[in-house]
Amino acid sequence: MITAGVDIGSTSSKVVVLEDGKKILSKVIIPVGAGSSGPARAFEQSIREVNLSREDIKRVIATGYGRTHFPGADQQITEITCHARGVYELLPGVRTIIDIGGQDAKAIRVGQGGIVSNFIMNDKCAAGTGRFLEVMSRILEINIEDLADLAALAENPASISNTCTVFAESEVISQLSGGTSREDVAAGIVNSVVGRVAGLVKRLGVQSEVVMTGGVCLNWMIIRMMEKELAIPVMASPMAQLTGALGAALFAFESAR
Amino acid sequence: MPEKLTSRNLLNQLQTRHYTNAYTAKMKGQLVGWATSIFPQEFCETMDLTVVYPENHAAAVAAKRGALPLLEQAESEGYSVDLCSYARINLAYMKSQAAEVPIPLPDFILCCNNICNTLIKWYENIATELNIPMILIDVPFNHGYEPTPAAIDYIKSEFEECIRQLETITGRQFNFERFQEVMKLSNENSRAWKRALDLNQAVPAPLNGFELFNYMSQMVCARGRKETGELFKLLIEELEEKISLGKSCYEDGEKCRVMWDGIACWPHIKHNYKALAKSGINIVCSSYPEAWVLLYEPGNMDELARVYSMIGNNTCMEYQADRREGEVRNFKLDGILFHVNRSCKVMAFMQYEQQRLVAARTGVSIMNFDGDQADPRNFAAAQFETRLEALMEIVSQNKSAKKSKEVMNNDPA
Amino acid sequence: MTQLKELLSTLEHVAKHPAQVINKCLEDKRLMIGCTPEYCPEEIVYAAGMLPVGLWGGATSIRNANQYFPAFACSLVQTTLELGMRGVYDQLAGVIIPAHCDHLKCFGQDWKVAVPQVRFIPLAHPINRKLEAAVEYLKSEYSRIKSVLEEIGGKPISHQDLSEAIEVYNLHRKTLREFTLIARDYCTTITPSVRHNVIKSGYFMDKLEHTQLVNSLIGELKKAPPEEWKGQKVVLTGIMAEPKEILDMFEEYGLAVAADDLAQESRQFRTDVPEGKDPLERLARHWSCMEGCSLLYDPQKNRRFMLKTMAEESRADGVVACIMKFCEMEEFDYPIYKKTLEEAEIPLLYLELDLATPSLEQVRTRIQSFAEMISLKP
Ligand code: SF4
Ligand code: SF4
Repeated sequence: MITAGVDIGSTSSKVVVLEDGKKILSKVIIPVGAGSSGPARAFEQSIREVNLSREDIKRVIATGYGRTHFPGADQQITEITCHARGVYELLPGVRTIIDIGGQDAKAIRVGQGGIVSNFIMNDKCAAGTGRFLEVMSRILEINIEDLADLAALAENPASISNTCTVFAESEVISQLSGGTSREDVAAGIVNSVVGRVAGLVKRLGVQSEVVMTGGVCLNWMIIRMMEKELAIPVMASPMAQLTGALGAALFAFESAR
Repeated sequence: MPEKLTSRNLLNQLQTRHYTNAYTAKMKGQLVGWATSIFPQEFCETMDLTVVYPENHAAAVAAKRGALPLLEQAESEGYSVDLCSYARINLAYMKSQAAEVPIPLPDFILCCNNICNTLIKWYENIATELNIPMILIDVPFNHGYEPTPAAIDYIKSEFEECIRQLETITGRQFNFERFQEVMKLSNENSRAWKRALDLNQAVPAPLNGFELFNYMSQMVCARGRKETGELFKLLIEELEEKISLGKSCYEDGEKCRVMWDGIACWPHIKHNYKALAKSGINIVCSSYPEAWVLLYEPGNMDELARVYSMIGNNTCMEYQADRREGEVRNFKLDGILFHVNRSCKVMAFMQYEQQRLVAARTGVSIMNFDGDQADPRNFAAAQFETRLEALMEIVSQNKSAKKSKEVMNNDPA
Repeated sequence: MTQLKELLSTLEHVAKHPAQVINKCLEDKRLMIGCTPEYCPEEIVYAAGMLPVGLWGGATSIRNANQYFPAFACSLVQTTLELGMRGVYDQLAGVIIPAHCDHLKCFGQDWKVAVPQVRFIPLAHPINRKLEAAVEYLKSEYSRIKSVLEEIGGKPISHQDLSEAIEVYNLHRKTLREFTLIARDYCTTITPSVRHNVIKSGYFMDKLEHTQLVNSLIGELKKAPPEEWKGQKVVLTGIMAEPKEILDMFEEYGLAVAADDLAQESRQFRTDVPEGKDPLERLARHWSCMEGCSLLYDPQKNRRFMLKTMAEESRADGVVACIMKFCEMEEFDYPIYKKTLEEAEIPLLYLELDLATPSLEQVRTRIQSFAEMISLKP
C-alpha cells in the first residue's frame, strides 16, 4: 500500500511517499510553502518521480502550518504529532524534539510508542523562530543558510539582547555601525535564537535523547550551540526537514490499514 | 588625615551592611522577612525584625547586569515574559539563589498592594512555594481623590490583624511604646528625605537625579532607622553647600531640567546616564523617589492608613496630575521623560492621559520611551537616544516660544 | 427536538447579537448599566429595576484605545475601551468597573476621560476578604453604588427589592450550575460553543427570563438519554474562552467541555449569596465566601487543588488554560497549578488568547496537537 505525507511549512513544502509504511519511494522538498504553488508541485513531483498517479496513493495526510489548505489531503495532523511519529521511526530512543520552524518553535516530549506526551510552542512574537533569523540575515545582507557559517567565524560573539524583532533590528544595525564585525553580530543573532528556543526546552524539561528536526538542524553550528545551552548532546534528525512528512506518511499508512 | 566621610560612602556602607546583616541574622537562626517596598515598615521595625526588600534586591541584580539568567530561569519554569521583571527575577532567585548579592530566603512575607496588585500574585507564589505565612495589607484603589472613611477603617483593622499575625510568627508581644518611637523616627526620616529631594529645586540643581534612585534604597530598606537620618543629614549638608556655591552637578551647567517619570532602567542605567549627559539633559527629580515621603502624625492610625493608601500608583487620574503639575512648577521643569515600562502595568496605563493633562496645564514638554526596569531585552538604545534628541528640540522650541510670549506680555500696552 | 433547537438558537442569537436585546430594552424604557469584568454586584442594578449588561470586550481591532493603553494591556480592557470610545455603549446609563487587577484600576480611570458620556461607577473590592472588616468596607462600597443607581433611576431601592434580586440571582446561579453538570452528558448537542453561548447569553438578558430558558433547555435535554461521546473532554480554566473561533476549533478536533473554571462562566455562579438579614451585607459577604479564582486572594493557591479535583471529578482528559495575553493574574497562577496537574498526570495546554489580534493559526495548531496528544494517550 502506498501512502504520502505532505508537510507544508511557511517557507517550504516537503513530501514523502511511502510503500507499506516502510520503504521510502520518493521525497521532495520545494523551497516555497503555504499559500504558494509549492505544496501541489511538490506533491505532483513526488508521485511523478516514481511513475504513480494520485489514484495509486491510498491515503494522503497533510501536516505543517499550511495543512488545512491542501485540497489533496484525506486528513490533517499537526506537525507536532507528525514530527514525533517521524522521529520515533528513525530514532526510537528520543524523548525530546526541538523544531525551529519559520513561524514558530516547538519543544516536544515523546512518550511511549512515539506518542506526544507534552509540547510547548513559542509565544506570539517572532523571537526564537526562523522568521527572526530571516529578518536579521537580511540586515546582514546574506542568505539565511549562510548565517551560521558566518557566525562560526566570530571571535567575540556580540550580545543581541532584544527579543522583539523591531528592537533587535535596530540593535543589530547600531552594533554594525558601531564597528562590531558581521561575524560577531551573526553569532549574536544565532545565540539569541538558540537561547530563546532552549528556554522552551527547559520549560518542557530536558530529557535525553534530544534531537533537532526541520531545516535548521542542517546547521551544525546551531546544533553545537544548542548542546552548549542545554548541556546535553543534541542530534540532528537524519531526515531533517522531511521528518514531519515521514511521520504524516506513516500515520497515513496506519490509518489506511 | 582621614578622608571625610561623604554621604555616598555612607550610603554604600549602609546598603552593604543591610544585606550582610540579613545574612548574619538568618545564620544565627533569626527570622527573616521579605517585604514589598512600601509596606508599613513601622510594624516590623517595632518588632525589631530583619526584613529585606525583593524589589530593591532585583534592582540591584539588574543594575549589576545579573538579571538575564534569572529571567530566563523564570521563563523556563513557566512564567510569562510579560510579567513584571522584578517578580520574575525574585521568583527565580527564590529557587536558585544565583545572584552576585545574595539575600537570605524568608520565613514570612509582608505585602502591601499600595503600588500594584501584581505584588499580591507574586507574593502568593512565594508563600505557596516556600510554604510560609504571608501578611497582606490591602489598600483599596482610590478611585476618588482620597480614601473613603470605610476604607480607612478597613485598613486599620488590617493593621490590627498584621500585629496579631506578627505576634504569632515571632512569639513576642507587640510593644506600643516602641511603635510610637518608630513612627516618630520614620517621620523624621521622611522629612529629611523630602528636604533632600526639594533641595534639587535650586537652579542649578545640586544633585543628579540618578543619584536619587541610589539614595532611595535607604528609604526603602531602613525608613524607620536612626542611621538613615544620619545619612540624609550628611546629604543635606552637602547639597546646601553646593547650592551656596551655586554649583551644578553637571560639568557644563544646566541646559534643560527634566523629570524622569517612572522607575529607572537598571540594566541600562550607565547608558542612560551617559546619553542624557551627552544631550545636555539634567534629570532633577523623579516621580518615583517621592513615594517614600510618608508623613503623618505619629500615633494617629487614621493618618497612617491614609498615607500608605495614597501612594501615587494607588491614586486617581486627578490626584496624579496634580502631583505632577506641582513638580513641574516646584522644580521649574522644562520637560518630563516618561518611561513606558513594559513591566509595570499600573504605571504605564494612565501615563498617556497624564501626559496630556500635565502638558495642557503647564506647557511642559513631554517625551516617552519604551523600556523595562529590569529586563534588559525590552529596551533599545537607539530609540532612547533619538527620543532624547527630540525632547531637546521640543524643549528649545518651547523655550523660545515662551520667550517671545514673555516679550509680548512685557509690552506696556 | 425542535423545541430544543429553538431554545438553543434563541440563546445563541442573544449571545451573538446583544444589540437587539438592548434595543428592545430601550423600547421598554428600561435603563441599562454596564458591568465590566470580573465581579460586579449585579443584584443591586437589578433591584433598581435596571438591566445589568455584561461587558467582556469583543473581537475588534484597536484604533482608539491606544491613546490610553500601550500595547501590553490585556485585550479585555483594550477592546472594551475601544468599543466604548466608538460609542457602542452610549445607551448605557452607567458602567460599573471594579479594580481587581492593575489593568482594571487604570481602565476605570481612563474610561472616565475617554468615554465621558457613559457614567463611570467605580468599585474597589477588599482583597483581604476573609476579615470581618472587609465585609463592612465592601458594604459601604455597595451602598455608594446603590445611591448612585438610585440617583440615576430617580427612585429608592428598598431592602425588599434587594432581597428579591438576590433570590432571582441565586436561582439563576443554581440553574446554570445544573446546566453545566447536565451539559457534560450531552456533548454532541451541547458543543463547546453552544455551551458558551447558553451561559454568555445571560449577560444580556433579564436573569429571570434567562433562568426560565435554561430551565426549559435542561428539561428538553433530559428527555433524551445521555449521548455517547467518542471524543475527548477537557476542563477550561482562565478568564474566558474567546475569541469564539477557538471553541469551534475544540469542536472540530473532537474536544468537548467537561467543566469550566472560567471567570466569565462558572466562577460567576459557583457560590450563592449567603443567607442573612441585611441584603447589602449578604452581597458583601458573598465576596468573602468565594474561592478558587485568580482574582481572589489565595496565599496557599488552593485553586490548584480545586482544579485538579474538578478535572478528576468531571473525568476530563485534560485541562486547557485559556490565558488572556498580558493577564498577570492568571499568568502567575499558571506555573503553580501546572506543577500540581503534572504530578497528577493530567495533560495541560497553555493557550494564549488575544481578542484584538488573535493569531488563530497558531492557536489551531496548539488545540489540534493537544487533541491528537490526548486521544493517542495510552
Ligand atoms: S514594577 Fe510595577 S508591577 Fe512590578 S512590583 Fe513595582 S509597581 Fe508592581
Ligand atoms: S483579563 Fe486579567 S488583566 Fe485583563 S482585566 Fe481581567 S484580570 Fe485584569
